[in-house]
Amino acid sequence: MSRSSPHLRLEQLVRHYAGAAAPAVDRISLDLPRGALLALLGPSGCGKTTTLRMIAGLEKPESGRILVGGRDVTALPPHKRHMGVVFQSYALFPHMTSVGNVAFGLEMQGVARAERGPRALAALELVGLSGFAQRKPRQLSGGQQQRVALARALAIEPDLLLLDEPLSALDAKLREGVRDEIRALQQRLGTTAVFVTHDQTEALAMADLVAVMNAGKVEQLAAPEEIFERPATRFVATFVGRAARIQGRLEAGGVLRTEGGAALRTHSSLAAGPVEAFLRPHRVRLLAPGEAAPTGMANVLDATLARRVYTGEIVALEANTPAGVITAELHAGTDGLWRELQPGSPMRLAFRDTDLLVFPAP
Amino acid sequence: MIGWLLALPALGVMGLAFLWPLAMLFRISLNRTTETGAMEVAVTGESYTRLLGDEFTWELIGNTLGLSGTSAAIAVAMALPVALMIRAASPRWRGLLALLAIAPLLVSGTARLVGWMAILGDQGMINVVLRWVGLTDAPIRMINNWTGVRVGLMESLMPYAVLVLLAGLGRLDSRLEEAAATLGANRFRTFIRVTLPLAAPALLAAWLLTLVLGISAFITPRLMGGGRVFVLATEIYNLALESVDWPAAAAMAMLLLGGLILLMLLRGCVGWLQGKRA
Repeated sequence: MSRSSPHLRLEQLVRHYAGAAAPAVDRISLDLPRGALLALLGPSGCGKTTTLRMIAGLEKPESGRILVGGRDVTALPPHKRHMGVVFQSYALFPHMTSVGNVAFGLEMQGVARAERGPRALAALELVGLSGFAQRKPRQLSGGQQQRVALARALAIEPDLLLLDEPLSALDAKLREGVRDEIRALQQRLGTTAVFVTHDQTEALAMADLVAVMNAGKVEQLAAPEEIFERPATRFVATFVGRAARIQGRLEAGGVLRTEGGAALRTHSSLAAGPVEAFLRPHRVRLLAPGEAAPTGMANVLDATLARRVYTGEIVALEANTPAGVITAELHAGTDGLWRELQPGSPMRLAFRDTDLLVFPAP
Repeated sequence: MIGWLLALPALGVMGLAFLWPLAMLFRISLNRTTETGAMEVAVTGESYTRLLGDEFTWELIGNTLGLSGTSAAIAVAMALPVALMIRAASPRWRGLLALLAIAPLLVSGTARLVGWMAILGDQGMINVVLRWVGLTDAPIRMINNWTGVRVGLMESLMPYAVLVLLAGLGRLDSRLEEAAATLGANRFRTFIRVTLPLAAPALLAAWLLTLVLGISAFITPRLMGGGRVFVLATEIYNLALESVDWPAAAAMAMLLLGGLILLMLLRGCVGWLQGKRA
């Protein structure tokens, strides 16, 4: 197999559920290089879990193909696919100990009895649970159960590691740590992995590639920066990250004219017509009275503060402008201008032409 | 307080129709049977000592436990695939399939037994077919003996076994079986190593319940046994209505009741252990 060929390839996968009019998964195709981590990101019901389950063989696609390492596995039952799956509920066998859970997979893979124990313990050590080998799942915390599930999936040295919302059952404080551990482990072992999440931060922080899904389709497949900074569709722009919505007409020269009378410069090459633009709050600068816009910031709007939300590190200023309601997020500590502003105060906001993500009006 | 008031009618009926007769029964069991067979009012344990000293009683207990134990075990074993199938069905079908599985309960037990007679009798469907095919010359006896009773009992216990198993298996997460599959276990190994061990408490609970029902069954041994099968329930009937030895009949009924209460307590313990494990 050549280096350039993808490790995982999905070709035109389709899956309907009985009774549903629209397909759960609608002609999904994507390639994933060896050793990469792919995040399937989308709202609930977008088909991301169904896609994962089809890769694992737990559900059959109606049409399309799944190739792993160039081999067509579409017709293979799950027990012949050699994939490690971490379920959302962990699905640990309650009647077996931690090490028993891990060894079960090794046994099913035909690993010799004498080898199973040491290898299972090594897998538990990998996830930092060597002291918990003889515990039953119910004697472990959620985070520990999660690690056992991960050890069990990794111990069989799978061709593909599949994780279904692996962090959603953990409490918020644990989540970040476990997230980084999974990523570090996946990179260290060089395992190709796919994980499903509805949490954009998780997807952006962990993945090499993010597939943003909606209504059974992949809206965009790209690196995290690309997804966030250059969303390909209106859905991606609104689902990943927050943004103020600006409605208006695009005129010649890429000028966006709003109903409120603002004329904003954009980088859009769309044809003239009704459009919607999105502006990320952290891109918006607050100008001091009389301060000229910094070079490159082609758009300046006169605004009135409507609401101020202080959350410690960040302060969000919600302002009424001729372009509609726009939110500016500032670092509360470094940028002190906001402290003088009260609801009703006049202010000026500036941003670049490239900060406006312009899409045809729906 | 209101709850107690609302429960009063039911408690009243229970008291009048169950507890009072039960107390009477216990009282009768303490009476004496005279040489002539008449009942004499007394307070004595003679009937009990007489029964427990009789080898036939112990044979009856053995018969009853053996019959119910095996019938219950076969019923549970046959109910397990049914329960697993119902559990695996889509939610739309699950209700209908569960209803089908317990549908026999909607038909009178006596009617079902008459049906079995038509199937298993000397001139029944199976024997007629066997002779017509030429496999046998004489009919194979399948009713009026232990086989007939066992078949009838097993069939009548199966719906209960399915019900108990469905309740027990409902708590078994199907993700566990999927996890086993992704780890490389085929369906058979998944069943042996994951499904079966996790279903064990449900199997035990189903067996104990059907065992209790089997021990107290009267109609089935009576009709399918044709007077040749002796268990505790039929013997109580014989003692009361044929030998007209009421103290002995009452004492045997009390012994049976005691045994059943013990079994139900055991079943409660199993349920309690299950609850502690989950």
